[in-house]
Amino acid sequence: MNNYQKIAALLGFVLLLVVIGTVVRQLRQPEIVEITPTLSGQPELCLTCHTGIEEISASHPTEAFGCVLCHGGDGLALDADLAHATMRGGRNPSALDVVQESCGGSACHSGFAEDGRDHIHRVLTSVQGTYAGAIAQTNFAFGGQPDLTARYGIYAVQDDVITTETGVPELLPFQPGPDAPPPLHEFADNCQYCHLTADPLAQDYYYRATGCASCHVVYENDGLYRGSDPTIPKDEPGHGRTHQLTTAIPYYQCNHCHNRGNYSLRQMSFLERDDLPGPDNLSAQEQRELEYYQPISQFTLCEWELDCVDCHTNGEVMGDGDIHSSQTEIQYIQCKTCHGTLTEMPNLVTIEDPEHPAIRSAELNPHYSVAVGDTVIATEKGETFGWVKWDGEKLLETGKVDGRLYEVPLVQGSACQQKPDEQESSYCHECHTYERTVRP
Amino acid sequence: MSRPNFFEHLHPPTIPAREARFTYTFGLGGMSLLLYLVLIVTGVPLMFVYVPTTASAAKSIRSITYVAPYGWLLRNVHYWAAVLLLLALGLHLLRVALSGSYKKPRQFNWLIGFIILLLSLLLSFSGYVLRWDVDTFGALTVGVNIVREIPLLGEWLYGLVVGGPFIGDATVVRFYTWHTLGLSIPVITLIGWHIFRVRRDGGISHQSLVVSHQSTVSNHPSPISKRRISRRELVRREGIAMLALLILLLLLALFFDAPLAPPVDPLAVPGTAVSKIEAPWFFLWIQALLRRLPPLWAGVIIPLVTAVILAALPWTLDRSETGTAVWFNREGRLAQVVVLLIAGGIILLTMVELGG
Repeated sequence: MNNYQKIAALLGFVLLLVVIGTVVRQLRQPEIVEITPTLSGQPELCLTCHTGIEEISASHPTEAFGCVLCHGGDGLALDADLAHATMRGGRNPSALDVVQESCGGSACHSGFAEDGRDHIHRVLTSVQGTYAGAIAQTNFAFGGQPDLTARYGIYAVQDDVITTETGVPELLPFQPGPDAPPPLHEFADNCQYCHLTADPLAQDYYYRATGCASCHVVYENDGLYRGSDPTIPKDEPGHGRTHQLTTAIPYYQCNHCHNRGNYSLRQMSFLERDDLPGPDNLSAQEQRELEYYQPISQFTLCEWELDCVDCHTNGEVMGDGDIHSSQTEIQYIQCKTCHGTLTEMPNLVTIEDPEHPAIRSAELNPHYSVAVGDTVIATEKGETFGWVKWDGEKLLETGKVDGRLYEVPLVQGSACQQKPDEQESSYCHECHTYERTVRP
Repeated sequence: MSRPNFFEHLHPPTIPAREARFTYTFGLGGMSLLLYLVLIVTGVPLMFVYVPTTASAAKSIRSITYVAPYGWLLRNVHYWAAVLLLLALGLHLLRVALSGSYKKPRQFNWLIGFIILLLSLLLSFSGYVLRWDVDTFGALTVGVNIVREIPLLGEWLYGLVVGGPFIGDATVVRFYTWHTLGLSIPVITLIGWHIFRVRRDGGISHQSLVVSHQSTVSNHPSPISKRRISRRELVRREGIAMLALLILLLLLALFFDAPLAPPVDPLAVPGTAVSKIEAPWFFLWIQALLRRLPPLWAGVIIPLVTAVILAALPWTLDRSETGTAVWFNREGRLAQVVVLLIAGGIILLTMVELGG
């Protein structure tokens, strides 16, 4: 062989190796999983990588919705960066700055004329979204406004249709001016992460999403993913328990924001509770009792045996479509809602309309159902507790989170000696306070 | 000795040894030819999958890249061949300019070569646009609006390129057809002519004291080396360069994917559809000018004047007949300085744009 032939042979060998490299790369390409959701009619390849990801909910079937309709992104790209670059809200399409595009629309969650069914407007105007109550209280306390009526929120928001006496037409973004007292600046700097648009503290017990997913995607206390999508790391905190929306929202999901500690107006900061995680070897029930309320709280047995969503209504949590100045204007459920009083049974209603909200809500929950003819609790604002049914003799509550059955004791016929004009829950707590058995 | 094979027949029987050295030509013309062949061989299969409509262009690119077997390889090789081609053509121009190889009787072939370079730039730009994503859409918008700036002809050229008053399906079809036929057939024709003219003008430019139409150097009593190599030797060298280039191309294609950006969202709010307006790398220097000068100057006058200066170089900046095939020959100093200034300016502006 002359020199040319030697070089050519060497280069030919190298070329062969490179060609083999291309074959290896082709063989390692993932097996394409293509779906064409019926609602978009556009093929997408997301499930090629996200094999085994949980269907988001029974009312958003993958065959109909696919991924891109809600998440955006480049559904035909199999390069993670490119596929994800244009996703709405990053991992969370329900983030409130993009929720109208992701979850809203004429056929979806903002598409109904009734104020109460524009869920996106409700959440955007709700005190959990605006934080208007805390801002009004603090701004008033430090002389920033003459009364407790809300003027500011985390973001600007308007409400064209006011349906309650306490509703206000609009909020401006809260930005204390240069002349505002230092505590108001500290409040603006330190205290504005307790609302639906803010990212949570990145630590155990606080992990949650923002927007709709703040409540409807359950996070474990450790923030770890427990589903079957191989692309979501199992050891990286900050992921939902699974890729699923639910109305069966457990108490600990609410607790990712609530019952986490106290506000110090003097230090103008949030002081985390320090009794968690508590002693080892607690039973599940003891763990629940410990975690549910923070040590200074006063509560009754049912308040921690049940889950928050068993008593607190959709309207209280997501708002009624009006902008309110305080949580007290929207939170109204009392013990008597379910237990009645000495003189009155709880308010009951028999469902007659197959489109009744109680039936629609029940369809979204895996643990209870409501049919025409069922008699259920109705609140003073007309919301129904489809999970608390009157069977003709007694009231039966089905746990919205776990399906457990409880018989709801009625005040009528009991030994309760409460005065008829003192029927607020705070009076009930005088006798029925539950003493915590587990102490940190 | 065996009879010359097909590839050997494409060459003259013997070639001057000095100019056949790799360090004289760096094989840039031959490499460009190979890269063009690669572009055709990879481009034709891509045409089977690409769908030239606004709705489907980006989707079909994704089919090629992610779904079609070896589609990624075809696209990556096509991309990297185009990148290497522009580099090779640019360096080829520099080599010819700095070694005085454009001199009489090769002036006309210089012009053909320069037109090939211009058409190759347009081919690259049209190929870039065919990706039809936010990056290329921005470049397209800027590009066709620059065309509009051309006095008198602007609107007519705009219509020719865009296919209507607005960018739409007609535009994709126009770019697709320009890319696959309208530009590539003239380029292929010119490449044939360019190679033919190399032979017609006396073979590869070589040192000579007399103009090359006086038959062969061997008759001339000069101190210049008369040693020549056989075409078999040349074809072997070319074969080795070709193998090395193919290895480089495949390695690039294997490890560095051709870029893609998010598809253009027709529903996006105007102004947000284009994430960043990004010219393709070979036009970054014009983008740098556009940031600093009015569009007519940056997009039309300066590039046009640059092109005219370069195209007319053998008839203006250096009309000497001596110094052929001599790197940095004294007679061609002015031409060399101008070409280096232009090259330096383009490189500098590109670096500024990359850095900023």
